[in-house]
Amino acid sequence: MGDRPQTGELLPGTLDMLILKMLTRGEMHGYGIAQGIQRASNDVLHVEEGALYPALHRLEVRGWLRSTWGTSENNRRAKYYRLSALGRRELEREAAYWDRVASAVTRLMQAT
Amino acid sequence: MKWRHDLISLWHRLLSFGGRRRRARDVDDELAFHLAMRQAEQESAGASPERARLEAMRQFGNVTALKEQTREMWTFPSFESFVQDIRYAFRTLLKSRGFSIVAILVLAIGIGANTAMFSLVDAMLLRGLPYQDADRLVVLIGNVQRGVVERRGNSYPDHRDWRAQATRFVDLAAYSTMTMTLMGFDEPERVPIEAVSAPYFSLLGVTPVHGRTFRPDEDEVPNRDAVVILSDGLWRRRFGADPSIVNRTIQSGVRTYTVVGIMPPGFAGISDTAQLWLPFALSGSSFDNRGSRGFQTLARLKPGTTIAEARAELDVISRQLEAAYPDTNEKRAVEVSPLAVETFGQLEPVVLTLMAAVSFVLLIACANVANLLIGRSEVRQKEIAVRTVLGAGQARLLRLLITESCVLTLVGAAAGIGVAMAAVTGLTAASPVTFPSFVQPGLNMSVLAFTIGIALLSGVLLGLAPAMHTRWSRLSEALKDTARGSTGRRSHRMRASLVVAEVALAIVLLIGAGLMIRSVQKLTAIDPGFKPEGVLTLSASIPRQQGSGPAGGPVPAAPGQPAPPPPPLVVSGTDLLAQIRAVPGVTGASLVSDIPLGDGSSATFYAAEGDATTTAQTRPRAYIHRVTPEFFETIGMPIKAGRTFHEREATPTATAVIVSEGVTRRFWPNQDPIGKRIKMGAADSSNPWLEIVGVVADVKYRGLPANPTADPDLYFPALDRTVQGLLIRTSVDPGSVTTSVRAAIRRAHPAIVVYNVTTMSDLVKAQTAASTFLTWILGLFATTALVLSVIGIYGVMSYLVAQRTREFGIRLALGASRGGLVAVVLRHGARLIAIGAVIGIAGSLGLSRLLGDLLYGVTALDVASGLAILVLVVVAVLACVIPALRATRVDPVIALRNE
Repeated sequence: MGDRPQTGELLPGTLDMLILKMLTRGEMHGYGIAQGIQRASNDVLHVEEGALYPALHRLEVRGWLRSTWGTSENNRRAKYYRLSALGRRELEREAAYWDRVASAVTRLMQAT
Repeated sequence: MKWRHDLISLWHRLLSFGGRRRRARDVDDELAFHLAMRQAEQESAGASPERARLEAMRQFGNVTALKEQTREMWTFPSFESFVQDIRYAFRTLLKSRGFSIVAILVLAIGIGANTAMFSLVDAMLLRGLPYQDADRLVVLIGNVQRGVVERRGNSYPDHRDWRAQATRFVDLAAYSTMTMTLMGFDEPERVPIEAVSAPYFSLLGVTPVHGRTFRPDEDEVPNRDAVVILSDGLWRRRFGADPSIVNRTIQSGVRTYTVVGIMPPGFAGISDTAQLWLPFALSGSSFDNRGSRGFQTLARLKPGTTIAEARAELDVISRQLEAAYPDTNEKRAVEVSPLAVETFGQLEPVVLTLMAAVSFVLLIACANVANLLIGRSEVRQKEIAVRTVLGAGQARLLRLLITESCVLTLVGAAAGIGVAMAAVTGLTAASPVTFPSFVQPGLNMSVLAFTIGIALLSGVLLGLAPAMHTRWSRLSEALKDTARGSTGRRSHRMRASLVVAEVALAIVLLIGAGLMIRSVQKLTAIDPGFKPEGVLTLSASIPRQQGSGPAGGPVPAAPGQPAPPPPPLVVSGTDLLAQIRAVPGVTGASLVSDIPLGDGSSATFYAAEGDATTTAQTRPRAYIHRVTPEFFETIGMPIKAGRTFHEREATPTATAVIVSEGVTRRFWPNQDPIGKRIKMGAADSSNPWLEIVGVVADVKYRGLPANPTADPDLYFPALDRTVQGLLIRTSVDPGSVTTSVRAAIRRAHPAIVVYNVTTMSDLVKAQTAASTFLTWILGLFATTALVLSVIGIYGVMSYLVAQRTREFGIRLALGASRGGLVAVVLRHGARLIAIGAVIGIAGSLGLSRLLGDLLYGVTALDVASGLAILVLVVVAVLACVIPALRATRVDPVIALRNE
């Protein structure tokens, strides 16, 4: 029931990891995360709002993110997320897994 | 790791559960911020504010759906939609109030009846005996294995040997129920007591609230210390709950007893009636006669020991005792029976039969409600179709239907619990079968769980019924008004099978009730062999003038000393009878040692003069009754030959005996038995020969429908005993002379205690009371089942006729006769009823096996079965007639225009 990320352009299952990775830079609001991913990936990866917010809240419920309400750069009330200790550990786990999978896929694709 | 995530999320969800509104606002704000940022982004790229807003919105997609999705992360979506379903279910039920009331009433009856019966099952069979580790408590009962195994009782020497040799038991305790007359109050009171040996209380795991239990040395014979333990009830009633009564004395007869302990409230011993306990040594049982058997032994199996192992060990001991004491122990063995079986044995089949019957009533009730629900689901076809079009999945719809029916059954259950508690109170109060006092059926967790369980189970089944017959896929047709018979055929089949099921279940119940009624008819028609009508019976305890001995029983004589002749009674039997005969309305009175059908008869071996055919296995045994000369006339027992006793024969040395026909048939068939001689004990014993002066008919002296054993009866002249039964024949209603008879006895001597006052007719009724009672309840269930199933059949047939209105219209227009149409409807109904009846009859063949011991002289092939089937078929066909007649009133023009 809504636990499935609907990434579209993202590889399935990577959105959580990307969010966690983004937040290693520090506190961010949802819009910032979306922009950050887009920019950091040189516009290759687009995060849809329809997927981003359910994912953010799911991660928060799981205890990987913490959130506070603050004021944005343009003086608006915004919700800021940051990584929790649990989230950091989860990111390490997922990154390690991603490395294994990605290098395996790469090897496979380069093989003749 | 996974479970940890789940736990954390569960925790967060729970935490946020209360602040749902705030959470929703936060999500709104968060998304609004995002939207504003996007808009600003578009604007900075050069778009007009309006365009920027639209572009931002477009990127967002369905904002409402997104909000919902985001919020759902924090909630329990299935739970919340469940709450929604329940709310919706209540609304729908409230909207169709008529339907809901009928359904809830039917379910309340079905579930309530089941709850009532289950609370009995729970109190008796599940909670069981109120003792610690009660499943290891057993009763040892000595028996004799001659052809049939007959229970007898234990002798003290046997009991002592078992206790010394058996290793499978924690301990053994002798116990015997008695009565005792307590003095020192306004008037003497006779109370039921138990004489028990010292381990009795620890075996049951009961400890006194004050004082102590009996010490092992108080079991020793001869016993010098007369001690007693009081029940809580007696202590409160007679001694004002004064704890200082411990170590004081109480008076019974001429003897005083020291109170050593008070038992906790609610404890009344194994007999469930004891108000006082006496050491077994004071019970008056013989302590050195191995052949004198009369009590039972309570024992506790060691942990892990099975009954079979205990039985095997006792068998070995019995064989050793048989070898050592052939005179008294030949063919003697020990039965090991769980205490629970001894306590509930008779009630268990009754309660289980009723439980089965009542579950049938619930099934029929459910079939009826299912029928109603199917009818309603047809009306709701459109609603359901709309929901499907709007995206509700089949599973979701099924859940909705099941939620609705569960709400229905749960409300029914709530009403049913009220019905049940009232029913159970009435049932146990009205029951002629006494339930043990600790069986207190009531609402507890397991009964509640059972009720909710059957309510939910019926709810799920009821929800599935309309779902099964509806074809979800053919929505387009449901949406169209013309889709009249789209679900028709399937619905017919579903409803038809419900009718068949109802008929089958009702038939089984009706046949069951019919068999019980016949069985009770046969039971009450049994001729006991005497005339119970118009006879008042009572027991009297008559004190002796002076000397020793409790009024309740003889004090055992010290071994080695001859018992001194007891002092005379305060009033002789002859004088007592004379006083009673003077009461107006009394036409005859006699004394008897044991009142017919009143328990307390005892048996002994005897020998017939000149008999050479008898072996150890066929040793004749007979029941002994001591009676005054008018006994046979008073009770209405025909004298077949010879005469009754003479007054002068009422002495301990008299040699006159009257026998029942069983004795003469066995030893002197086709001879004149008068003057023949028998003797108590073995033929070569020193006992005197007794001369037969009269022969009376074999009667059902000790039980109905038959004596527990086939042994005949021997009658001896009555002697003056401290405990006497009295039979008083009256020319008026025997109950009406009770007061004047009591007064006459008081006039004879004020110290006489009168108890067990009843009529012979009531004693006869008590023998068949359990069956009569069971029949009433079963009859009630069967009637309920009949009414419910007839309502069901009527409903279905009416529906079928309504469905076929158009067809009937066409038929009429084409020239069919109205009678023909009635026949069509009736044929349809009759076919369903016939199928149901056949299934029901097949089912009831197993029923008579279930009823088994409860039936007397009846088999499943009894006329009663045929009658029960006939009743149901006739009533069921009548239920079809009204809809059938309605079919004939169809106006072809209107029926066709209806389209």
